[in-house]
Amino acid sequence: MDIFIRSVAVLSRACGFVAGSLILISIFVVTHMVVQRYAFGQPTIWQTEFVIYALIASTLIGSPYVLLLRGHVNMDILPIYAGPRLRFALAMVASVGALGFCLLLFWFGAWYWHEAWSKDWHSDTLWRVPLWIPHLSLPVGMGILSLQYVADILSLVTGRTLPFGLPPKTGTDALVESFPAHVDTLT
Amino acid sequence: MSPLFMGLFVLLGTLLVMATGMPIAFSLGIVSVAALVAFEGPRSLEFMAETFLGGLDDFTLVSIPMFVLMGAAVASSRAGRDLYEALDRWLYRVPGGLVISNLGACALFAALTGSSPATCAAIGKMGIPEMRKRGYPDGIATGSIAAGGTLGILIPPSLTFILYGIATESSIGRLFLAGVVPGIMLTALFMAWTWFAVRRSGHQAYDPAFRWTWAEKFAALPKVLPFLAIIGAVMWALYGGVATPSEAAGVGALFCLLLAIVIYRMWRIQDLVAIFRDTTKESVMILMIIGTSILFAYMLTNLYLTQSLAEWIAALDVNRWVLLAAINAMLLVAGCFLPPAAIILMTTPILLPIITAADFDIIWFGVILTINMEVGLITPPVGLNLYVINGIAPDVPLSRILWGSLPYVMCMLLAILILCVFPGIATWLPDLLMGPA
Amino acid sequence: LTLKASHQWPSGTGDFRDEMIQIIAKELAAANVDLDVRVFPGSSLVKPREQWSALSKGQIDISLFPLDYAAGKHPQFSATLMPGLVKNHEHAIRLSKSPFMDDIKKIVEGEGIIVIADGWLAGGFASKKQCILNPEDAKGQVMRAAGPMFERMLAGAGASLASMPSSEIYTAMQTGVLDAANTSSESFSSYRLQEQVKCMTPPGDQALWFMYEPLLMSKRSFDRLEPKQREALMAAAKKAEDYGFKKAAEADASMVDLFQKAGVEIVHMTAAQADAWRALAKETSYKTFAAEVPNGQALIDKALAVE
Ligand code: NA
Ligand code: NA
Repeated sequence: MDIFIRSVAVLSRACGFVAGSLILISIFVVTHMVVQRYAFGQPTIWQTEFVIYALIASTLIGSPYVLLLRGHVNMDILPIYAGPRLRFALAMVASVGALGFCLLLFWFGAWYWHEAWSKDWHSDTLWRVPLWIPHLSLPVGMGILSLQYVADILSLVTGRTLPFGLPPKTGTDALVESFPAHVDTLT
Repeated sequence: MSPLFMGLFVLLGTLLVMATGMPIAFSLGIVSVAALVAFEGPRSLEFMAETFLGGLDDFTLVSIPMFVLMGAAVASSRAGRDLYEALDRWLYRVPGGLVISNLGACALFAALTGSSPATCAAIGKMGIPEMRKRGYPDGIATGSIAAGGTLGILIPPSLTFILYGIATESSIGRLFLAGVVPGIMLTALFMAWTWFAVRRSGHQAYDPAFRWTWAEKFAALPKVLPFLAIIGAVMWALYGGVATPSEAAGVGALFCLLLAIVIYRMWRIQDLVAIFRDTTKESVMILMIIGTSILFAYMLTNLYLTQSLAEWIAALDVNRWVLLAAINAMLLVAGCFLPPAAIILMTTPILLPIITAADFDIIWFGVILTINMEVGLITPPVGLNLYVINGIAPDVPLSRILWGSLPYVMCMLLAILILCVFPGIATWLPDLLMGPA
Repeated sequence: LTLKASHQWPSGTGDFRDEMIQIIAKELAAANVDLDVRVFPGSSLVKPREQWSALSKGQIDISLFPLDYAAGKHPQFSATLMPGLVKNHEHAIRLSKSPFMDDIKKIVEGEGIIVIADGWLAGGFASKKQCILNPEDAKGQVMRAAGPMFERMLAGAGASLASMPSSEIYTAMQTGVLDAANTSSESFSSYRLQEQVKCMTPPGDQALWFMYEPLLMSKRSFDRLEPKQREALMAAAKKAEDYGFKKAAEADASMVDLFQKAGVEIVHMTAAQADAWRALAKETSYKTFAAEVPNGQALIDKALAVE
């Protein structure tokens, strides 16, 4: 089980790398577009669309990584004030519910991708990108996100991690102690 | 089932699901799916992937990761410290000068980043320890930064305005401009309160005999220039007709990244990885909420809930200012529990028809909404700026931060009142530069 | 039974495409055949470009949008927003009933959608820099074109292209991002572009820009209706179609009027100038279309054959 949880974490980190790279590439493409259009007065054809698709992919593929970092913001006031048993139950309901949604989006995303691929859909612009390429990010991102949720649920059930990553206290103590956890990347 | 009853059902369901601690993005998703299946049948899910992807397929959204990166790059550098130091050397003789310098630095920094926590972190990291060292009370030191940081979403660029602009299909450039004067006004209110409070307490940060020389004063200025240059460049790009907000954000992000690498020497791979990790984390979080909030809005519209609610409120025939007060109260409560992005994306589809029917200006309401969201950033339990302050000064109790920021919250409520009486404060600049709406 | 109608235009401001759908709703209510139409205006339910898919999957029942929006899924639809194929509104009516349009409608039906009323919109060019009459006039101007086939033709003329929805043209021109734009007469008026441009080339008798914008219905929903309901629906659709044709022609005239009053110079293309554009289109848009679309050349030929 450790192997599964750890490999999913590695996969999610790889996704984070892809997501960050796509943002970096998008910055260069936007700048390239601005320079090409306004400095040289040349038409720009593919840049706008490329950047949109890249950032959608960055969002979907980056999602499992952000889940790993507990970066998907939630309303955690009830879990913070809940006792250990209720907190565990809440964590289970929250994770299983979210997993359910991610699986649905994965399923319909895969179906939509297949439609784009089998019917040879293109974007309705000058660039005419085959849509199966950008649409692929939906099933891939949601598939890995579902895997990360399964790994999270397994770690929770087996006691490898505490519910919501909160310290084993309740109430105001937990609130105060959990603050730095929310800002680890900002400070 | 009547639409209003259905709406109540959906509202309770959403609150219940969110209360479990499920991430907001997936809560909105699962509630949308459940309501669609229950009231429209399972076939309505066939359109789920298109709705989700179609919602994200928008060049305006490109500005979000770009502005987030601008903030992350500058916040991780020493830039905030330089800015604050320069201001301090010029303002140190004013009562509360150090606090006022920090507020000024917050306002300037806000013109570079679209997010409030980034503003708070960048200025607070240097400002809070310095103010405490010079003997300012902990409450003022932390409260002023918590509040000053919120200027990040009022003074353009602003993620809040971008999201509101997308949700209401109004011009983001116009919204940005509308935030400028209210932002300066709110900064002035913050400073006025600080001047008054510190003068009353008789606190002096410097020895009365101490003087910064003119040479020292001018020596601090060149360090601020790159900042002002980027702010100027982005503003010029936005309003000088060079680029759209997304394009300006992209170029601005590249500039800020270069500023951090070249001037602040953050070229080690760890530094860059940290910048991109922060950016990915925040932008993915926001964009996922956008994606599922579009499913949520689709569900609300499809079940005719937003339209019914708007019709119902119109039929109540209440005074429009009572209505506005009620909306503000509701948003303030929501602000206690939810971050601005989630509130705007969830409530705008519902509020827009009501606001339009009551004949309020959409751009003006965007400014009111944003100041309201600023309050939410420093109210517990979910207050992003509180988290940041707590990270910087973990030994200051939460209650003291809250008491310290309370007067600034009052300033924000006062600003909302002033804007209600004089809407022109928000609409004058966009009307002047972009023509009447 | 309640039918969901979705469109992307503002409601209640006199946009005739909104009114066409409102006519359907009113006529069906009056016909008393137990058919309700619930209108979702202004893209409030489905985004403009997703309406095709929503119709085909039966998520909405009725919609009205440029068929070219679905050109990415069926490249043949680009022929309905092709430079120089339609000369004027009467010509558009004849084209709607031609073998060319039969081919297009066959593809539409293949996706589970039916056309219940035809509609065409005309449009022109406007610039804040230089009047656009000959292809050479577009050279060096930053332009926004409505439709990829027009983008191709304008790129061939040496224009620099910027893509944006018509709602952003005003700001783009004001801030200087854009010199000139090509869009429908309806959009020129409703976005008050007379405040920005110096010179306008309206459609007139030698129009280059015509766009097919039919009233569409999901076949799944249509098949569910009883014969009496279908009859009432088709009668309402006919009314909406006639109204739409009348209004589309009026839109051109009122746009010219509006722009003239605002002091904008109005210029008309001569037959020779329009031919120069068509020759350019043949080398750019038609050529690409014929090369990339199955039976593309045949479709163009059929359209050009309509007198
Ligand atoms: Na800002
Ligand atoms: Na709050």
